[in-house]
Amino acid sequence: MDKKYNKKNIQKDIKPSFANPTSQKEQKEKKTIAIKSKESWLIAFGITLAIIGLGYFFLVGQNSDMLFTAQGRSFFTTNSTFLDECIKRPGGIISWAASFLTQFFYHPALGASIMIAMWIASMWLSKLAFKVRNVWMAVLAIPVICLLVSTIDTGYWIYYIKQTGYWFYGTTGYLIAMLLVTVYHLFKKRTDLIIATFFIGFSYPFFGWYTLLALIYISVSSLVRFSKETTIADRYLIPLLPLVFVIAVPVLCYFFYPELRFIDLWTCGFPYFINDKLISYIPEIPFMLLAITPLLFSFLPKRKEYTGKQAWMVYLVTIVTMVSAYIWIDASNFNNYNYHAEMRMNRAAEEQNWDKVLDEMSGLPGDASRQMVLLKNVALLNKGEMGTKMFKYNNMGEPPTNGFDTLQVHMVQTAAPLIYYYHGKTNFASRWCIENSVEFGYNFDNIKMLARCAIINKEMDAARKYLDILTTSIYHKDWAERLIPLTENPQLISEYKEFDTVNELWSSMGSVLDGDNGLCEMYLLNYFSNTMNKDCKLLQELTLNYALVQKNIQLFWPRFFLYAQLHQNQSMPIHYQEAAYLYGHLEPNNVNIKQMPFDKIVAERYNGFQQLSQSLLATGMNTKDVGEAMKSSYGDTFYWFYFFCRDIHSY
Amino acid sequence: MKIKNILSALITAAIIASCNHPSVPANAEQESRLPRITPDYTEVTVPANICPLNFAVQEGATEAVAKLSYPGGELTYGDGVKVQIDDEEWSLIREAATGGSIKVEVYAKIDNTWKAFKPFNIYVAEDSIDEYISYRVIQPSYVAYEKLSINQRNLTNFEEKEIYNNMAVSTESVGQCINCHSYKNYKTDNMLFHMRQGYGGTMIVNNGELKKIDLKIDETISAGVYPAWHPTHNLIAFSTNKTGQSFHTKDLNKIEVQDTESDLILYDVDNNEVSIISELENELEVFPTWSPDGKKLYFCSAEFEYHIDTIAKETEMIQRYKEVKYDLYSVDFNPETRQFSNVEMIYNAADSLGQSVTLPRVSPDGRYLLFAQAEYGCFHVWHNDADIYMMDLKTKQVQKLNNVNSARSESYPTWSSNGRWIMVASRRDDGNYTRPYIAYFDKNGKTHKAFEVPQKDPNFYTFFLRSFNRPEFMIEPVQITPKQFTQKAKEDAVKAKFAQ
Repeated sequence: MDKKYNKKNIQKDIKPSFANPTSQKEQKEKKTIAIKSKESWLIAFGITLAIIGLGYFFLVGQNSDMLFTAQGRSFFTTNSTFLDECIKRPGGIISWAASFLTQFFYHPALGASIMIAMWIASMWLSKLAFKVRNVWMAVLAIPVICLLVSTIDTGYWIYYIKQTGYWFYGTTGYLIAMLLVTVYHLFKKRTDLIIATFFIGFSYPFFGWYTLLALIYISVSSLVRFSKETTIADRYLIPLLPLVFVIAVPVLCYFFYPELRFIDLWTCGFPYFINDKLISYIPEIPFMLLAITPLLFSFLPKRKEYTGKQAWMVYLVTIVTMVSAYIWIDASNFNNYNYHAEMRMNRAAEEQNWDKVLDEMSGLPGDASRQMVLLKNVALLNKGEMGTKMFKYNNMGEPPTNGFDTLQVHMVQTAAPLIYYYHGKTNFASRWCIENSVEFGYNFDNIKMLARCAIINKEMDAARKYLDILTTSIYHKDWAERLIPLTENPQLISEYKEFDTVNELWSSMGSVLDGDNGLCEMYLLNYFSNTMNKDCKLLQELTLNYALVQKNIQLFWPRFFLYAQLHQNQSMPIHYQEAAYLYGHLEPNNVNIKQMPFDKIVAERYNGFQQLSQSLLATGMNTKDVGEAMKSSYGDTFYWFYFFCRDIHSY
Repeated sequence: MKIKNILSALITAAIIASCNHPSVPANAEQESRLPRITPDYTEVTVPANICPLNFAVQEGATEAVAKLSYPGGELTYGDGVKVQIDDEEWSLIREAATGGSIKVEVYAKIDNTWKAFKPFNIYVAEDSIDEYISYRVIQPSYVAYEKLSINQRNLTNFEEKEIYNNMAVSTESVGQCINCHSYKNYKTDNMLFHMRQGYGGTMIVNNGELKKIDLKIDETISAGVYPAWHPTHNLIAFSTNKTGQSFHTKDLNKIEVQDTESDLILYDVDNNEVSIISELENELEVFPTWSPDGKKLYFCSAEFEYHIDTIAKETEMIQRYKEVKYDLYSVDFNPETRQFSNVEMIYNAADSLGQSVTLPRVSPDGRYLLFAQAEYGCFHVWHNDADIYMMDLKTKQVQKLNNVNSARSESYPTWSSNGRWIMVASRRDDGNYTRPYIAYFDKNGKTHKAFEVPQKDPNFYTFFLRSFNRPEFMIEPVQITPKQFTQKAKEDAVKAKFAQ
């Protein structure tokens, strides 16, 4: 029994005395503020509810689209090949389990619920493992807050994370670490503790970094727990033993992992945010804090009740912790509008919900990213509205950036397979699926895309392979099973309307040998603007539009005339008229447009555009400011695009 | 006590489950065709020492049973749609059937009705196969690479181990590519593989001693590629290449890998010296391979003259890629003097057939030469029309090996050490992922239907999203451990010297 506890009991015993004025004062204070069992339980449940609330608010409320994207960029199959791949590194079992759990983000609320439940379980397990009082639940929540931050702070690293099962890896690992510490502390006898350390130590191949953390936590908590033991063996050797395992077990295991570097032995499972040009430390901070915080748990005061200043201190710690946590979570939450809009557009495009794609573009508060512009083009192509609405949407190019680091985002790694596919470029879509899989591992999105491309390419055995893999998933099974009959009978493709446009484009294009040099947009612009095709109206319109985007007058006219030839007795879409009217005036000796039957509005708006721009320039405004000033009036015209949509850097 | 009981019950259940032989369904409807199974082991001929030929029944079945009848008995197997044969029972079956066949009757439950398919045979040859093969495990590579390993597989069981894994030395900023593993006379105390970029160099095991050599010298185009160990001397022939890649926008061949420059070199392992074998202008020499007596070197060469001065060689090569066609040559070699003489074109594929020959390999008895042939180019693993052909070096007759080939790419043929088995890298499964296929080549010079290297899980190849490149036979496992290779890889390479 420690001395403090005895002292407290003595104080408690003398409180009822009328003769003691100090005691009266204390009693008054006690009436004012005291944390007893009931209050401590309220604090514990309050913090638990706060974590649940924060979890749902930030995961489901703010990041549903990100969670859905995360599951698409994750992979799991029940076949042993995936497990074998996972366990090639220590901690592989966590990768496997985390990959399984990430599937549930297909329904973000369900996945979030599982994740939050694991966090709550971890918190309460850590309370049990370190024998922490209820009142300190806010401190126990810090690792869980780290896990929440680590889920929502990745930004564009979502496309570059290499850790298999990243999204649930930390959550699963921390839960396991707490479980290991709890199990260890179930034992009392020296021999049992040594045996337990042995087993926990050799769980390193399964849990990697989190086994090592558990051993360190066990060491520290044992040091506190056995500090009063009389024998040196119990006081020092039992706490020391786990540290010996921390050093020795990874070294022993090193020889069983051919692909493991020695320097990685003690960090297998710690996520690095690294590529060939950048090491980003900001997203690693939550994991570092998560690792360190439990070291404090053993030192938290053990008393049952708190009164007066001590109680205030508890409340202060709780409130400061939770308020700081909220501020940190909110600040770390990557809520860049385009980042989330891109994810929603990708999903809508994958589902061929073209109205949703266009709605996202309409609702933009700022400039679009080039990826969004391309998906908008795809949506308009599918709706047959390129010529009438192409320039009514934002066509600028806000570069995607994390802000907190200098990560360079490349479209070939974010959406190129989808964009290439909808342009009928199935080989290039397949290529980037494979290239990205080489670097970041296979994922459901890639395998689905590979299956689609194989179907269009009539590579039915390959399609069947990818679909068979998907049939072992929870949420992509139905999609795969619906397409399997098509692999048996390619003639059925006409019954699958989702392939119509892509198949038409693909069938109309010839094959050439070239490459995109990693620039999806530039490649598409160059390829299509330099292509002529009179057999496929869809492809022909695409070539005309990309000639417009290129602002190349020589490329425009032959494609314009071909369009007119292919669409006789139909009205000429407004943007094509605008381009013809503009180019006719810019180079009057090139093509005579006087006899062309332009809509009245085309000439009117051109004249209005010219007058306004001239008058604004005359005031001394620079071109950029003139463009901004004219955006509300003429931002929906090709004229505005031609003169003011500039300095766009493809990526 | 309770735990003991539970464990005992579990072990008993496991034993019962492992020995479970399902009964053959009664009243099954007869089908007059062979069952669709994966891998396809119908009517194949397998070695006398091969591991179990596990397979899965397709047909949209929910359950399957296979009855294996062999001289002296019959056994049934079936677990869902998988037919996985116990190792020890397979040994009994295989030994009993050696020189004969195993009759396989497949029953499949389709739409709740059992169907009995036309039986097929698995023929068990009296000839054994080399115990080990090795291959590079790689995603069907375009430009990017990350995880690569060279693995060795024991064909008599399912054991697979890594020989070397590039991740052990790769970093995010400096990756490492590995390729071109090769053995001297199927043994591993003289072997090599090459590493590119990070910690680059050629790892050469010379009589069990590991060295790391930098074969790129000023006088050569590149480090050594496509190696061939001389069978009697410590010499290795390589090609040196300047290689590029470009991509088909629609063609299902998808990728073209082209050499804009290509020569042949000879590396003297003991003296660490490189000499030039052939560096003819307007010739792209590649794929050297020795005759078993070491007195002839076979290689491929394409005549290609650059004649557009205004563009880069690479661009011209891309524009004229279909014009690059390789013929097959031989050159005499004196191992004592190290002199090459008397170059002879032994197969004019380019001009006479409009075809391109690559990857020649001579049989251990020196009588036959295997090669891969397609319409153009040097990288037939991406050419769907690529097939394996065999030349009788005595008669110079060439035949296409129909039993080995498929509608998709076959490349990288190689012989087992006894000359009775041919292994090729085939993309017949799905067109994208290369798998090792083995075919029996009997004493009468006839090839038999090729079979896919068996895996414990018959669905392995469906779910495994990497290729098995450059499959090679070995008669023993590699002795040097992956960690020893890793340690050596981190050391500086010793620069090779140029010998006139």
